[in-house]
Amino acid sequence: MVDRSSLQGALALLILKTLARGPNHGFGIALHIQNASEGLLSVEEGSLYPALHRLERDKLVSAEWKVTANGRRARYYRLTAAGTKRLREAEASWDATAQGVMRVLRFA
Amino acid sequence: MKHNRQEDDFREEIASHIEMRAELNRERGLPADEALRAARRQFGNTSIVAEGMRQVHVSEFFEGLLQDLRYALRGFARQPMFAVTAVFAAALGIGSTTAVFSVVDRILFRSLPYREDNRLVSLGMMAPLDTNEFLFAESYFDWRKHQTPFESVTSFAAAIGDCDLTESNPLRLSCADVEANFLPTLGISPILGRNFTKEEDVRNGPRVVLISYGLWQSRFGRDPNVIGRRVSIDGGPVTILGVLPANFEMPTLAHPDVLTPERLDEARERNGRLLRVFARLKPGVTLAQAQQAMQPIWQRTLLSVPAPFRKEVHLSLRSLRDRQIHDARTASWVLLGAVCSVLLIACANIANLLLARATSRRKEMAVRAALGAGRGRLIRQTLTETVLLGVAGGAVGCGLAWLLLRTFIGIAPQGIPRLDQAALDLRVLLFALMASVIAGALFGIGPALVKPEAESLTGTRSAGAQRALLRECLVAAQIAVSLVLLASAGLLLRSLWKIESVPLGMETEHVITADFVLGSQGYRQDTRQLQFYDDLEARLAAIPGVTSFSISDSLPPAGITRARPLVAIQVEGLPPLTEGTGGMITWRYVTPGYFTTLGIPIVRGRGFNEEDRTPAASAMILSQTFAHRAFPNGDAIGKRIKADGWATVVGVVADVKNNGPTMAADPEYYVLRKRVVDEIFRNQMPPYGWRQAKVAIRTSVNAKVMTDWLKREFAALDPSLPVTFGSMQQRVGKLMDRPRFHAVLLSIFAGMGVLLAAIGLYGVMAFLVGQRTQEIGVRMALGATPGGIVKLVLRRASVWTLTGALVGLTGTIFATRLIRTLLFDVPALDPWTLAVVVPGLLVIALAAAWIPSLRAAHVDPMNALRHE
Repeated sequence: MVDRSSLQGALALLILKTLARGPNHGFGIALHIQNASEGLLSVEEGSLYPALHRLERDKLVSAEWKVTANGRRARYYRLTAAGTKRLREAEASWDATAQGVMRVLRFA
Repeated sequence: MKHNRQEDDFREEIASHIEMRAELNRERGLPADEALRAARRQFGNTSIVAEGMRQVHVSEFFEGLLQDLRYALRGFARQPMFAVTAVFAAALGIGSTTAVFSVVDRILFRSLPYREDNRLVSLGMMAPLDTNEFLFAESYFDWRKHQTPFESVTSFAAAIGDCDLTESNPLRLSCADVEANFLPTLGISPILGRNFTKEEDVRNGPRVVLISYGLWQSRFGRDPNVIGRRVSIDGGPVTILGVLPANFEMPTLAHPDVLTPERLDEARERNGRLLRVFARLKPGVTLAQAQQAMQPIWQRTLLSVPAPFRKEVHLSLRSLRDRQIHDARTASWVLLGAVCSVLLIACANIANLLLARATSRRKEMAVRAALGAGRGRLIRQTLTETVLLGVAGGAVGCGLAWLLLRTFIGIAPQGIPRLDQAALDLRVLLFALMASVIAGALFGIGPALVKPEAESLTGTRSAGAQRALLRECLVAAQIAVSLVLLASAGLLLRSLWKIESVPLGMETEHVITADFVLGSQGYRQDTRQLQFYDDLEARLAAIPGVTSFSISDSLPPAGITRARPLVAIQVEGLPPLTEGTGGMITWRYVTPGYFTTLGIPIVRGRGFNEEDRTPAASAMILSQTFAHRAFPNGDAIGKRIKADGWATVVGVVADVKNNGPTMAADPEYYVLRKRVVDEIFRNQMPPYGWRQAKVAIRTSVNAKVMTDWLKREFAALDPSLPVTFGSMQQRVGKLMDRPRFHAVLLSIFAGMGVLLAAIGLYGVMAFLVGQRTQEIGVRMALGATPGGIVKLVLRRASVWTLTGALVGLTGTIFATRLIRTLLFDVPALDPWTLAVVVPGLLVIALAAAWIPSLRAAHVDPMNALRHE
């Protein structure tokens, strides 16, 4: 079960969840995931950006160039309607997966 | 553009990320440079990340394509018969089209090796004594001086004769005398050295030459220092001024080795030197305008033409291409039309196959559509499959084209211009590629646009009816085009058969021929020539197994012969002609054995004998037609005629086809070769005079053995003399080459067309039978007999076959009109040809439908019904 695609799926879930709070840029997303997980999860840039572009390609997020509060140009990602829907589905299936995994771990 | 913007985006996004991280680091108290370095370190290799982003976007397209391809290949593997048939049909269509295109491209479309060749024209006087326009030098000066429509006018001596490179290792060359502005007018410059100037192109000017690339390569080893070298041509020293480009050819398609100044001299040119004249139109001037502008000058020229000839000459102005391809134009278009028809049939065939496939896949497509595959995605899938078929067909077709082209060149007659240059080059391959992609798109777009309907999922077949109609129309169209092809091929075959059975007026079996031209150096004196022929006669007479032999200046049934207008011949007791030329009279200069050797029957009087060859005697023999023309009311024997000198008619011989089997024969007379110089011998015609001769030998000995003997005798006489041996039958056979070429080619294409049409019909009927298996099962369960089922299927097939045949017949009426000029003694709507072709095609079509009908008859009702 824990293959590359499901890990990618996990990353996509984290990204979508982060964006559910509002549009953000790549750095902001990485920072939020790290802070929210209290440092347990750190997202590598090497997988973050391809994942963002994949979500964009699949029209789950949209992107546009904007200026940050500090006056810097950054690419902001925003959840689309399809992205919101996918997030709901993914959360549900992740819950199931996580519970399943936990049960097995506990059982073992 | 889009790609670059994307790359910039990637880079900027990464840079912006690193800077934000660096800022955060600075806020946490790191010094500026350390903050940036840490940010970079944490990000890692930026180009790997950028590559990761790129991958996401690239794979979107390619993954789709790869998936389509994989899917298409899997589909083909599941139905190999479908794929093989489709590729086979595409390969036949594309291959034959490409092969023919590579031949006619050179003839019809490709530019000639001159600058702006569409502005070049050939001009002059068209008269019965030549098939191309020419001009006498005297008139040329007037034309050159007073013409207005041309940028420049140039000329060269019509007689491109042989000349000898007389050095330690002598070489026979062909030399052309051209005007100084010849190369500039064509837009050619020497690749080495220079062209000769106007000042050098005068009487008694310096002896200078340009040499061909071929000669430069073979004789001078491409030595760049060849310019300025002095060599000896025909015994005199000449200086090499320049080297011509490798692709140089005369506008007459001749390939001379040496160009020398023409040395026209207006003050002295009175001996009727024959010139070929070419000119470059001023920009924007049309042929018709030029023709109009030349009229006043032409009227002046006409005055210089002897009165009897005036009605038979006219001003001729043709584009260079028209002059070069002559009658090859019709044949080329006919061939191109024929292969395009084959391509059309092939396309219809594949479209049919794809339609059948699309019908059987409607369920699958509907399922995919229901599962969310977009309409564009499904169209793309279908187009991928068809283009894949097209490209595969194109690849196999290229191989086929190569094979066909080799065959064409192998069986092609001489005199098809530029055939030797035909090859599958880049341009032709591009054509093939275009043909295959267009074919792919053509037969792919229809099935691709068929909208998958939810109804298809129910399994009812009502929606298929319309498409079945389309498929049957396609089959009818194939039958129609095949019929046109078959009828055309049939007409050409019948015409070939007619040509071959034309009586030539002579017996061509067991006759060996030898052609040669004595060198201009060694045989300059009349005595040397006469001596050679004397020796030759003596040697031929001594060869055992030679029944009879002759030496003549020309041989029937075709080729260049000497001829003079009737008006130039005086007949004793007959007033001279007052109007017209009386037509051309062919004449030949022969030895006494001529009629025996060629088997030409003597109708009246006698043949020539040795006494006729004494210096004082003067005998002449007439052909039947000429005898009748000259002496309509009496016996020709004993009458006198003056051509070169007065001669007495001693005999009349049967007519011989002297213009080839397809043309009307000209009246003809024969005079005798003597062993001394007489009036006829003095009448030497350029370029070869009497140095050119043909020997004919009737023998009962094996041809190869006799040829070896002859070779030995010639070698003993003059070891350096090149002689071409052949047989009379070969010479006659060569005349059939062109009609045979057309007939064979068209037959091949007609065969391909019929084969494809038959496959198409078979496919449709097999498909219909497959679709109606259940219905047939029901019919049989209700008591239909197998014979009745066969009839049912055949009836359906014959409706469409007959429809196609009717349309084809209408098309044939128009199409055969186009090939009329290629036919001989066969009407364009030949009932015999149609009487064979139409039933033939119907039989083939019904045979193709027969097999599926048998399968239908063997349907097991129980199985068929259980299927439901």
